[in-house]
Amino acid sequence: MTFVPSLLLIEDDDAIRTALELSLTRQGHRVATAATGEDGLKLLREQRPDLIVLDVMLPGIDGFEVCRRIRRTDQLPIILLTARSDDIDVVVGLESGADDYVVKPVQGRVLDARIRAVLRRGEREANDSATFGSLVIDRAAMTVTKNGEDLQLTPTELRLLLELSRRPGQALSRQQLLRLVWEHDYLGDSRLVDACVQRLRAKVEDVPSSPTLIRTVRGVGYRLDSPQ
Amino acid sequence: MSEPHDKSRGPAAVRKAILSGLRFTSLRLRLVVVFALVALTAAVSASGIAYWLNREAVLTRTQDAVLRDFQQEMQSHASALPLNPTQDELQRTAVQMANSSQRFSVLLIAEDPDGNVVVGNSDLDTFTREDVPASLRKAVNKEQPLSSNNKAAYHLYWQRIVVNDTPYLVGGTRVIDGGPTGYMLKSLEQEAKDLNSLAWSLGIATALALVGSALLAQAAATTVLKPVHRLGTAARRLGEGKLDTRLRVSGTDELAEMSRTFNRAAEALEQRVAEMSAREEASRRFVADMSHELRTPLTAITAVTEVLEEELDAETGSVDPMIEPAVRLVVSETRRLNDLVENLMEVTRFDAGTARLVVDDVDIADQITACIDARAWLDAVELDAERGITARLDPRRLDVILANLIGNALKHGGSPVRVSVRTEDDDLLIEVQDNGPGIPEDVLPHVFDRFYKASASRPRSEGSGLGLSIALENAHIHGGEITAANAPKGGAVFTLRLPRDASPLIAGTREEDSR
Repeated sequence: MTFVPSLLLIEDDDAIRTALELSLTRQGHRVATAATGEDGLKLLREQRPDLIVLDVMLPGIDGFEVCRRIRRTDQLPIILLTARSDDIDVVVGLESGADDYVVKPVQGRVLDARIRAVLRRGEREANDSATFGSLVIDRAAMTVTKNGEDLQLTPTELRLLLELSRRPGQALSRQQLLRLVWEHDYLGDSRLVDACVQRLRAKVEDVPSSPTLIRTVRGVGYRLDSPQ
Repeated sequence: MSEPHDKSRGPAAVRKAILSGLRFTSLRLRLVVVFALVALTAAVSASGIAYWLNREAVLTRTQDAVLRDFQQEMQSHASALPLNPTQDELQRTAVQMANSSQRFSVLLIAEDPDGNVVVGNSDLDTFTREDVPASLRKAVNKEQPLSSNNKAAYHLYWQRIVVNDTPYLVGGTRVIDGGPTGYMLKSLEQEAKDLNSLAWSLGIATALALVGSALLAQAAATTVLKPVHRLGTAARRLGEGKLDTRLRVSGTDELAEMSRTFNRAAEALEQRVAEMSAREEASRRFVADMSHELRTPLTAITAVTEVLEEELDAETGSVDPMIEPAVRLVVSETRRLNDLVENLMEVTRFDAGTARLVVDDVDIADQITACIDARAWLDAVELDAERGITARLDPRRLDVILANLIGNALKHGGSPVRVSVRTEDDDLLIEVQDNGPGIPEDVLPHVFDRFYKASASRPRSEGSGLGLSIALENAHIHGGEITAANAPKGGAVFTLRLPRDASPLIAGTREEDSR
């Protein structure tokens, strides 16, 4: 039996909700829908979907707030649906913990590809582990521990850490990371990488503002190193 | 030959510069000159009249007193003389007469009993017969015919003469009935001195008046010119676009009125500009809101059209062949509508100034290859670019520029399109050249205009009409430029010039720690 991912679509506009539900269902997803953020959060607790597609402009609590509330307890992937590609929206969305974003008018195929890419990030692929200072990455169990304590990472954060840990000491450009982690084409938004690195640093570094593990390589990108 | 000519041109040029520096037409100079002229005319005419009147008054008074005295002396002394006095008698009388209060020299001439002419004078050194002008002697000796109006046969005559630069008054008369003829000489040196000093005083007063008028003119010019200068400065500021420029209005004179007029004009202008920009802002916002609003239904339509498209592509043939062209039309037009709205959104972001750069380090050759690969243009484009040329710019915006330039070249020029990359100092140059007929000269300045169509009769093209305009805006936001031209060998050439590092344009938007 094949795995059928279950999605939660939170979108207030009836037409878009219906159309996207239709399109995503045809792509082979199980789709639950909610028209408001409040309904969405309720459905999330009841149904435990694999991924959330979240509209930014919602009546009541907006998409950013929904995103922040989910992140307090859950690490499940979130894709933002933003009607405005205004840069400030994207930045706020990424800061509130979204894994990826899609700008309306969205093509069903693009959304489907993004969904599948995000879901693939949780798949295990190797059976070894790596240690960077007090950080232990167990690729078999897909867990990361720091000082023996389990860290709660989203699949995207975990995948970013895995890609970096696969090439210790080697700098990876943002474009490379976008292809490896997000599976975006050559036009991926490098701010996705920056935002994810910020969130990851907040979880794995001792002092996030002066990182010792995930270093910025000026003019290139990021690299993962054992602390000196 | 030309050398001396050249040399002489130097000083001439300097003189010209100085002359223009002085600005003889300047209001200040004109005011000073006019004030000075008025003051000069007034002072000179006043002094002249005063001097003339004074001179006449002084001279007449002295003259009258002297002549009266002389007449009295003649009556009291000369007429007392015998008809034919001796030399001694004449001499004595002359000295007596000269002793009068007026201090004049006296010369008496008579005939002695022997019929000889005898002369008696008070100061032999200073006054002799030769000193008396002939014309005066003649007038004095002339016997006047007696009538009812004229009761005396001989009259008193006088004349002013100058001897050795000293002015003198000479007067003479004859005692009636054969008495002696008397002359007197009075020096007018004192009066001349007085009049001289008066002339000096008047001259100094005139000079002072001139200086005073010049100073007054300066002051007047300053009071007039300062507001004029302020007005000039304000007008320039207004011209530079500082529409809130106002003048301080003080007083009620014409200059204050002018300032008030300026202020009113500036206010009206500011208001008009504000209205216009508000209207423009409103229409921009309308376009922005409009494209936003279009997105929502478009999102739903796009999602559904894809379902329809998949249905068409499916081999099951579930779509009625009669309906199929209609479905295909809906699908293709929806895509076009999507592009148009997308471009509109992009344009409104540029107009509103909300477009931002998201820079990253990009390998240009890779980026161009990816751009033409993604659009299946690989066969139609010749790329001349070395790998390893990197730049720090917004990859999405570079892609928009490239896609528009190459797409435009393919559409109007046809393949193959040549794309070459090179660097020049800190700039990156990308040239897109096609093989087409080139761009007509009259169209060239308009190729980047929005919705510009080369001719009204030309059919609606595939593009939105915004492509090149958006490409240009995207170049500008990087601090770059796009120029369009025709190659000498034919074909249009679009040259994109971008700085190799656009990050200084987005100060502090990305956190970068140096570790």
